[in-house]
Amino acid sequence: MSFGGGAFAGGPVFGGLGGQGGQNLPFAGVPTELQERVDEILATEPDVADEAVDFSQAEYDRRPFTLGRFLAPHWVALLGALGLVVLETITLQAGPLLTKIAIDSGIRARSTQVLFAVAASYVVLIGLSMLISRARIVVTARVGADLMVRLRVRIFAHLQRLSLGFFTEEKSGVLFSRQTSDPVSLAALFQEGLVQLAVQALTLMIVTGLLVALNAWLATIVLLAVVPAMLLMTLWFRSASGPRYLDVRDRIADVLSHLQESLAGVRIVTAFNRRRHNVIEHRNVVGAYREANDATAQVNAVYGPGSEMIGILGQALLFLIGGRMVLRGELTVGDLAAFALYLTAFFAPIQQLVQLYTVYQQGTAAVVKLRELLAEGPTVGERTAAHPLPSIEGEIALENVTFSYQPGTPVLRDVDLRVRPGETFALVGATGSGTSTIAKLVARFYDPDSGVVRIDGQDLREVTFESLRTQLGIVPQEPFLFAGSLRDNVAFARPAATDDEVLAACDAVGIRELVDRLPYGIHTPVHERGVTLSAGERQLLALARAFVAEPRVLVLDEATSNLDLRTEALIEHALDVVLEGRTALIIAHRLATARRADRIATVHDGQIVEIGTHEDLVAQGGRYAEMFATWARHY
Amino acid sequence: MRSGLERTLRDLESLADDPSHPLEPVGVESRYDPPRSSIHPDRALSWLRRLWPVVAGHRGIFAVALLASLASLLCGVAVPRVMMAAIDDALTTRTAPLEGFVIAIALLGLIRGGAGFVSRFWLFRVAYAIENDLRVTLYDHLSRMSFSFYDRVQSGQLISRANSDIRTVQMFLTFGPLICLTILSFLAAIGLMLSISVPLTIVAILPLPFVGVLGARLGRLTFPISWIVQSRMADIATTVEENLSGVRVVKAFSAERAQIHAISKAARRLQWINVRQAEVQAAHAPVIESMPRVGMALVLLVGGWLTIEGRLTIGAIVAFTTYVVMLQAPFRMFGFFLMMVQRAAASALRIYEVLDEEPEVRDRGDAHDLTDPRGAVHFQNVTFGYGDAAPVLSGFDLDVPAGETVAVVGRTGCGKSTVARLLARFYDVDGGAVRIDGEDVRDLTLASVRAHVGIVPDEPFLFTTSIRNNIAYAQPDASDEDVIAAARAAGASDFIDRLPEAYDTVVGERGYDLSGGQRQRISIARSLLANPRVLILDDATSAVDVHVEQSIHDALEALLEGRTTIVIAHRLSTIALADRVVLLDSGRVAADGTHGELMRSEPRYAEVLAHLEDDTGARDAPAPEVAP
Repeated sequence: MSFGGGAFAGGPVFGGLGGQGGQNLPFAGVPTELQERVDEILATEPDVADEAVDFSQAEYDRRPFTLGRFLAPHWVALLGALGLVVLETITLQAGPLLTKIAIDSGIRARSTQVLFAVAASYVVLIGLSMLISRARIVVTARVGADLMVRLRVRIFAHLQRLSLGFFTEEKSGVLFSRQTSDPVSLAALFQEGLVQLAVQALTLMIVTGLLVALNAWLATIVLLAVVPAMLLMTLWFRSASGPRYLDVRDRIADVLSHLQESLAGVRIVTAFNRRRHNVIEHRNVVGAYREANDATAQVNAVYGPGSEMIGILGQALLFLIGGRMVLRGELTVGDLAAFALYLTAFFAPIQQLVQLYTVYQQGTAAVVKLRELLAEGPTVGERTAAHPLPSIEGEIALENVTFSYQPGTPVLRDVDLRVRPGETFALVGATGSGTSTIAKLVARFYDPDSGVVRIDGQDLREVTFESLRTQLGIVPQEPFLFAGSLRDNVAFARPAATDDEVLAACDAVGIRELVDRLPYGIHTPVHERGVTLSAGERQLLALARAFVAEPRVLVLDEATSNLDLRTEALIEHALDVVLEGRTALIIAHRLATARRADRIATVHDGQIVEIGTHEDLVAQGGRYAEMFATWARHY
Repeated sequence: MRSGLERTLRDLESLADDPSHPLEPVGVESRYDPPRSSIHPDRALSWLRRLWPVVAGHRGIFAVALLASLASLLCGVAVPRVMMAAIDDALTTRTAPLEGFVIAIALLGLIRGGAGFVSRFWLFRVAYAIENDLRVTLYDHLSRMSFSFYDRVQSGQLISRANSDIRTVQMFLTFGPLICLTILSFLAAIGLMLSISVPLTIVAILPLPFVGVLGARLGRLTFPISWIVQSRMADIATTVEENLSGVRVVKAFSAERAQIHAISKAARRLQWINVRQAEVQAAHAPVIESMPRVGMALVLLVGGWLTIEGRLTIGAIVAFTTYVVMLQAPFRMFGFFLMMVQRAAASALRIYEVLDEEPEVRDRGDAHDLTDPRGAVHFQNVTFGYGDAAPVLSGFDLDVPAGETVAVVGRTGCGKSTVARLLARFYDVDGGAVRIDGEDVRDLTLASVRAHVGIVPDEPFLFTTSIRNNIAYAQPDASDEDVIAAARAAGASDFIDRLPEAYDTVVGERGYDLSGGQRQRISIARSLLANPRVLILDDATSAVDVHVEQSIHDALEALLEGRTTIVIAHRLSTIALADRVVLLDSGRVAADGTHGELMRSEPRYAEVLAHLEDDTGARDAPAPEVAP
């Protein structure tokens, strides 16, 4: 998460690498002896212009992701690169022809002039090829880097559209490698793969043409003996290596997700003495990955040396037939030399193509996986016809809502609920009764199976996500902090918020004291998952985050669970101020929070069993009254 | 480097399997052998030298692969020489039959193919084996690191080291030896060329020094750039990782646009340096690659002239041109090789940086196991702060006799959780001592302390595996009965039974499909199954609703009987579990006594619990029944 970079300036800044909150952490910098040269390079970097982000929940490219569509927008540059490749290949392949001329017209005709002319044109061609090659490298790198930015942003943006349910089912290690390893494989496919493919294919064509021109009969015989052998081998390689490379990709994803999860839960691993077990587990997934790699080694080891062998056997055949032709006077020695040289030039590309095939396999495997990911549609999506939710009063209504996470086991059944604008409304109920689910439906993390959720009378499915969620402040159960400064985290929903606004929010939730204690105030970096802050402090920060968002409707999902009583009291005081004039839906297991609400609903087994003020419900003597009695006895 | 050597030996030992270790049970079958060795501990050595012990673990097959490579390459080098002989002796002077040369070429081809297969097959496998060793070693090492390490380091950075960097080193190990041998075999080619014609050889290799100079320059320019490339890739990884972990927050605050903006910015920074790298490449690589062809032009000119003069044969020119074509490949590779070396060196250093990091909390050489403790806990004048920050605890004294339950109460951030972390020895104290049964925890083995001290953390992290495996986390081989019993005691069995696959239900990524309270209950069950002598409940039931909490407490009360328990409490209901309450303030114990005593005598305690009086309706309800 980039929070606008240099807010926290201290220590040797590794260029703009900051921004990721990285520069002050170990393992994010460079060795000191390199720092100077790194600084020199970074001094030449222009500021990255703040590009407007073009993002829509509903409108996006739904066509299947293919290599063709991926490359299409750059067709001009690609054609240019192709042109350069053609020129480069032609200048490179003149060598053997010049050798033939030098042998037949120069040496055997005893003409030093021809020799000089040949050498001079050779040098000119070399000069040309250098210039062309230079241009080609720069052009393809530019296009490639451009494609990568687009691809990374596209995958990332697509994941932002997918619904919460998707992230619950998919392992994050897998999604991680979709966004990191796969684009790299595709970049390699483009930068090394496609360009080289063009170079080598063209070389093959030019060389074949030249061989036929030198001696059609000899060319036919030699190529007929060699090409089918190569072709068969390539076909075998193709069918044998494809599944093996797919296997490698699956295995490395396993390795990464095991690693990632071990790091995420490292404290539990340590606390429970699970080190040894996990190390062996990791050894097993890494071992499976190694075996998958070994399987690719097999086919590669057959293919590479095998094709080299065919190449040399081809030379033997050339000497056998061509040599006899020379002896019979049907061919010059110069022709034979050119043939021998071209045959080398003919096999080099084939071997290169094999190397490329690896790149190609990995690249296309990445294309397939990315196509699958990009074809994944949000289950809770924005409709194309969705309109922005106008500025809301804050009336929440659930009408006859039924919902289940897994088909057949409804979590909510026929729930009807109306929260008036400006009202503070608490939902209480046992764990699993469905209270949190109601909050998730109001935030439209999920859509009801039947029934409608409305805000100000508008069906949530008809409005845009952004207009809904910017007017809604949600404090989820788990306070997640992003790497970056405390300021960046608090101003998460509104990065443009001023420092004063951020400080005011900190005041409101009662962490001003904490902020003042930190070495750099609100600019102090907080680390991932906020490990340097206590759970309570993180909860408070999450609340401050919601305050800065200035929502019309606030949804607190048991957000005060990790606070001690004093801090909770502070927050509840702050809530009174902040909730003034706002609608609030509070999921509370703490009845201290619930009883302050204007109205309370008790949820039991997916249904609302009673609604009323605290006093009403206590007087009714129902489920709430019973819960309250138990609770009060213990506080 | 005696100490370095000692460490290598120790590492080797620790990498070995010891499945019978009672304190660190293993519930998974080990299907692969552990690596034979780790990197060399002496930091003064070069990166390759430090890698050597790992490579040496596979030296047998490595040697076979190298020998086969050499044979294969030499056969390749011999082919043009035979062709020269064929042209001169069989075709020009016609003093020898053509067929003999043809057979020789064919034989060389067959040997090259066979030896080539052996060489590639084993070279690849050695490289994969070393990658395997590095991954396992790094993971093993990371699993030993202390909390303080993970407080400082971003896991995105670690993942990038454990993945991209190891892969870069693996790439180098796969192709590096092959390229080295190619270069070596061309020394043989040059030897053959010299035997044909000294002046022509000089002419042919004249441009090569330029290649060397330019190649070195390219490498020097590329090194810092590839550092930046790697580090920017790690930044992207971090952004992606956080976006996945924090997906709920991103959605809740409609921050998709800002997140895309962040990744787009990070991607464009990477783009800039990638293009920069290509520009440096473009300025050097074409020249490097063209130089040998300048040699070819010179061979034609000078060789042609020598032949006209009658001092050389046409066959020699053909052989030389073939050699120069062959020389192109290694010189192209040479540039690539230099780049690869630079990248591999950068990556290796980044890996070593992690491996060189010593765990701050670790077993002393003479540490002994804590066996059958009674469970008396004693904090003696403890001072502790995180990193360089101000101390959280100073002059902290607390004595908990075996079997007693003590509640620790205090404001947010006062150091309650720190007390728990020090007791489980996640951190070492800066001053004073933490003792169990009178023994300083620093004199005990980590495994034994953690086996006897159980902690239910305030944040219930669950793994993406079945609920059963989560509960049996400390005892992977626990029976189903034990797992169910632990779940029942933690009040989790009811909701687990209602799940579609009960104990086999896989907890969703980061436990999204379980509520906070449900996760806490699984977390409690996990600790109960570990059956520790000393149990710490760090606000373990905060998200559990009152009814359930009550039933958990009823079950706990029986389970805590005879155990030493430290309860970090925010609620009176939790305090009720305790025999005694201590109030923590300004890093030390401010008051100590029963709840009733403190309520009477300690205004600060009353203040911390203040809003009870106002808010809970306690005035209407009977006075809380708290243990005496």
